[in-house]
Amino acid sequence: MKRRAIIAGVAAVGAAAAMGLYRFTDLFVKHYPPTPYDDLLLQLVDRQQASRLGARLAGAPDAGTLAAQLRAGLKPGELGAAAKADAAAGRVMEVDGWVLPKTVAFLSALASKV
Amino acid sequence: MALSLAGSKIRVLLMEAGGINFDPTIQKMYSGTETGTRYAPLDAGRLRQLGGGTNHWGGWCRPMDAIEFEARDWVPHSGWPFSRLTLEPYYSRAQALVEAGPWIYDLKGNADNAAEGTVLPLNGGGLYTSWFQFSKMRGDILPTQFGNRYRDDLKRAPNINSLLHANVTAIRLGANSKQVERLDVATLNSHGGAGKHFTVKPRMVVLACGGIENARLLLASNDVMKTGVGNQNDLVGRFFADNPIPRDIATVVSFSGPLAPFYGANQNLSDGTIMRATFAPTAKFCRAARIGSSLSTIETPVELDETGKAAVITTAIALGVDASNAKAYSLGCGMELMPDPDRRLTLSGDKDALGLPRLKLDMRIADDDFARFNRTMTELGRQLLASKAGMLRISCHTRDDWMTRMDWGHHHLGTTRMSADPKQGVVDGDLLVHGVGNLYIAGSGTFPSYSASNPTLNLVALTLRLGDHLKKVMA
Repeated sequence: MKRRAIIAGVAAVGAAAAMGLYRFTDLFVKHYPPTPYDDLLLQLVDRQQASRLGARLAGAPDAGTLAAQLRAGLKPGELGAAAKADAAAGRVMEVDGWVLPKTVAFLSALASKV
Repeated sequence: MALSLAGSKIRVLLMEAGGINFDPTIQKMYSGTETGTRYAPLDAGRLRQLGGGTNHWGGWCRPMDAIEFEARDWVPHSGWPFSRLTLEPYYSRAQALVEAGPWIYDLKGNADNAAEGTVLPLNGGGLYTSWFQFSKMRGDILPTQFGNRYRDDLKRAPNINSLLHANVTAIRLGANSKQVERLDVATLNSHGGAGKHFTVKPRMVVLACGGIENARLLLASNDVMKTGVGNQNDLVGRFFADNPIPRDIATVVSFSGPLAPFYGANQNLSDGTIMRATFAPTAKFCRAARIGSSLSTIETPVELDETGKAAVITTAIALGVDASNAKAYSLGCGMELMPDPDRRLTLSGDKDALGLPRLKLDMRIADDDFARFNRTMTELGRQLLASKAGMLRISCHTRDDWMTRMDWGHHHLGTTRMSADPKQGVVDGDLLVHGVGNLYIAGSGTFPSYSASNPTLNLVALTLRLGDHLKKVMA
């Protein structure tokens, strides 16, 4: 009984420490709860800023529609190439007046919806 | 106009309604009423004194683009009776008269001062970096005031007589309405009332009173032609236009830091020429996007709000660009309005001190004018993204957005428009009033479509051409 309590105590302390460490690293790398769209959202280095921007996309589709459209054109790790290709091809749209590559606008809008 | 005939065999009488200096009593002769879209009072934006509007102009010079002379199927009523090639021979003389230095404009570009800040690469898109030059009078007075600068040249010309304070109050046609027989002229007395009256019997007449006053004189001279001189097709006073110059219509962000100084302020080149960069649409883009002309100019640095910061951070990271030194600026523009026959000057019931009817302006600006310009801004934003140089925010989306930022260039255009077809224009390609054999009109009121370039350099070139024409027909 005593041994079991010690193990439980150590586990609790360990868990608390891990949680603390996890929260501490939030200062450097923001952690977000898992979503069905993490394959896309992981491409955003600063999801908080993207979310702030994406919230201003007027008439944005729901998260599922945004994700489906993004997955059709955005390969993992290729946000930069997609953004540049959007600009080159004239696929730009306004968010709060800012002229943005469509992929950036949609990804930001998705970030604001999760 | 008079100087273009100096030294010729033509005897010239220059009648100026004002004096050498500004006089508020004389200036009041210009007042009228305005309805419709908020616009400047009719006695503002022009000056009734020797040299006219050059006594308060900003000195901005830029030749019109070749496309602006063309009949553009997306610009109703557009098209000059000739191409820019016709004016080319006169631009160098015009450039000398406005004292804007050597002809550089887009030939040299940003060779000077480019090292002092970021140059935005636009990479062959719909807009390119173009250049203004600035008028600079002797002694570094900016800009050239024609009355002050050329008064002595007028005095020296043996064939030119100048009369100040001589107000033409009527253009009197002969009974057949085909010729100007005489001009009625009056002075103001010291109390601002009617003074002396006299008449002038000219061989040829050139009205060069400005785009508003020319129309007023034609409309008010209605004793023989009941609708006014040259107004047999109801065109005089119609198609009034100006260049809207709204401020802070967009925000431009340079990812890599402060822009080169020639974007936001006039720059002195080593030879004394003053230049400033502007963003202009290419002819190809104008055709493809069916837009009018515009010239957009960087104004002042601005701070971004939280959404703006988020936009810059998110976009720069996505493009793989370091925007830690990003700098934002407001953007202003000069726009070309679409010609509109219902934007017009008519006579009102009021009369000035000499009995000349005053004018009423029905001012309009179409939502489509704004929409066309925003297409230009979207393209500029796209180009900044494509070149990974920066980004752009469009600030105006409603009519209110535009009108709260609105200012006007005070460029009075279109009221005596030029066309080879008498049904489409008041004057022909030689600036001769259709149907009247000895009456010409000078000035930007003859521009049938307008450009975004400031009119002075262009109207001086057009006037010099008229001078050559008169020398030929009066030889």
